[in-house]
Amino acid sequence: MTPIEIGLISVIAIVFLIYSGVYIPVALGMVSFVSIWLMRDNFTLALNLLKVAVGDSAMEYTFATIPLFTFMGLIVSKAGLGRDIYEVMTMRFRKVKGGIGMGTVGANAVFAAVTGSSIASASVFTKVSVPQMIAQQYNPRFAVGVVAGSSVLGMIIPPSAMLIIYSFVAEQSVGDMFLAGVIPGILLAVAYVIAIWVMGRFTPNFVGGRVVEDSERMSGREVASKTLPTISIITIVLGGIYTGWLTAVEAGAAGALVALIIAILRKSMTLKSFWDALLETGHITAAILFLITAASIYSRMLGLAGLPNQLEDLLVGSQASFWGIMLLYVLLMLFLGTLLDTASIILIVVPLFLPLAEALDMSLIWFGIITVVGAEIGLLTPPLGISCFVIKSTIDDDRISLKDVFMGALPFAFVMLIVLFILIEFPILSLALI
Amino acid sequence: MLKTAVAGLARVANSVAMTANALGTLVVLALVVILNLDVFMRGVFSAPIKGTYEMVQFSVVLIVFLQLADVVRVDRLTRSDGFLNLLHSRRPNLTANLRRIINAISAIFMGLIAYITFPEFLHMWQTQDYFGVPGLFTLPWWPVKLVITFGTALSCLVFVIKVITAQDRPALIRAPEHDEADQ
Repeated sequence: MTPIEIGLISVIAIVFLIYSGVYIPVALGMVSFVSIWLMRDNFTLALNLLKVAVGDSAMEYTFATIPLFTFMGLIVSKAGLGRDIYEVMTMRFRKVKGGIGMGTVGANAVFAAVTGSSIASASVFTKVSVPQMIAQQYNPRFAVGVVAGSSVLGMIIPPSAMLIIYSFVAEQSVGDMFLAGVIPGILLAVAYVIAIWVMGRFTPNFVGGRVVEDSERMSGREVASKTLPTISIITIVLGGIYTGWLTAVEAGAAGALVALIIAILRKSMTLKSFWDALLETGHITAAILFLITAASIYSRMLGLAGLPNQLEDLLVGSQASFWGIMLLYVLLMLFLGTLLDTASIILIVVPLFLPLAEALDMSLIWFGIITVVGAEIGLLTPPLGISCFVIKSTIDDDRISLKDVFMGALPFAFVMLIVLFILIEFPILSLALI
Repeated sequence: MLKTAVAGLARVANSVAMTANALGTLVVLALVVILNLDVFMRGVFSAPIKGTYEMVQFSVVLIVFLQLADVVRVDRLTRSDGFLNLLHSRRPNLTANLRRIINAISAIFMGLIAYITFPEFLHMWQTQDYFGVPGLFTLPWWPVKLVITFGTALSCLVFVIKVITAQDRPALIRAPEHDEADQ
């Protein structure tokens, strides 16, 4: 067998193994190890590559962004900042049809700017927003759908674990990736709000809910006390990176410290919950970074097999148009998104397509935003929509089935797809802030 | 007889994994402290702390490989087990054996990494090689190599114990980290 054939078979084998439940880093590392061994017919060489990959990839300064932003996100959720923003946001939208839905989207967009994970957003807003919407006679499917759809914002609006992971694979600056995610994230949030308005207008039964007349108003002081903590964290993290005063790693550390101070001032942090947050941070960090380490073995294997260059020759040589290639890329991610989680999709697909993107003179930062948004659609689609799983397991209400969550999320997945095409057509949306 | 031996080994391995995990957790805290001190010293006194860059690199390796075994122990290593969960309700025995095979493969992978990084540690221990900028700030290489060998060897052991005892529970999702105590 030629190296290219071995490479191709190993990519398929990896996807198959992951689907059958093998730990993703093990599938990536083990298959790559064996295929390097077969390709070069040299066991010692394969061992050496494994050694170099593990030793090198763990010593990365920017890897520190993962524990720092994870820690910040955990503290922020524990301090109840998500609920506060939600209350302020829904106060404004109460009187509109589907208003609480719009408020949830808005709150998610703001909360996303202080956490890096869709899972955090999904579980926080399932608890605060779904019961309230159901109490106001919203359609349960719509209620869970809004939360699922808008939880995706957590991984697009910076700080985002997925943007960090992409920046490792593509060797881009984490700070640049963060800034690139701002406008696409806001665009997606606006698109969701418009979609909810349209749904309320044309399919009122799907939305449901009654309009509340007697909404109590919050005093300015109360609004300030509920929003200022979040705004201060956003200012420090994104402001610090934007002005160049802080590196992404330092911004993570500063953000974590501010979040900690806020949590202590609000007395929402005990020594026990502080220690738990630290433990969780370690677990998440070790899992993600070990995954990235394994993925670096995989991309070395791909390089040895020459698969990415082959793909580049094939697609560039076939005179495929820009949109032809992008459509193929999006379809591939949608397909993988039904089986794999977002991080794995990024780690498997990006090394394959990177030389192609470079050859076509695409901006790798823009390409990263396309990749992250495309891979995130999979969070909402069955059978393996992680966001939908989180909502189902958080909601603890047997009347709402997993199918309801998926059906409710479907319109939002569709909106994401439209936004994705807009982002592909107008790269300036991703590149304006850099 | 064999059963008690395995149970004892499992207890020892698990407590070592939990201790290493706690140590790694302290490193996370140290990371937050060092970086903030550095930013503060740089901003206020224009005197950044020497060696922050190297210390951050160092602590990332410590966090990952000190906590890896505990991640394996609580089954939080990244996987998508939707298919296994589906299968579990229909063919529980088949699924249990499938999990055993997966854990065995994982044990081999971890063992391989431990096996190839151990000589590296010995080499660095003998040569006392270091990284960083000589004269400014340097850290020895050997703890880095040692912690990689230690973490992967311990993970290998935890996987082996999982193969023998076959105690994996299926779950829709593992995300206890986002429970909000106060809401």
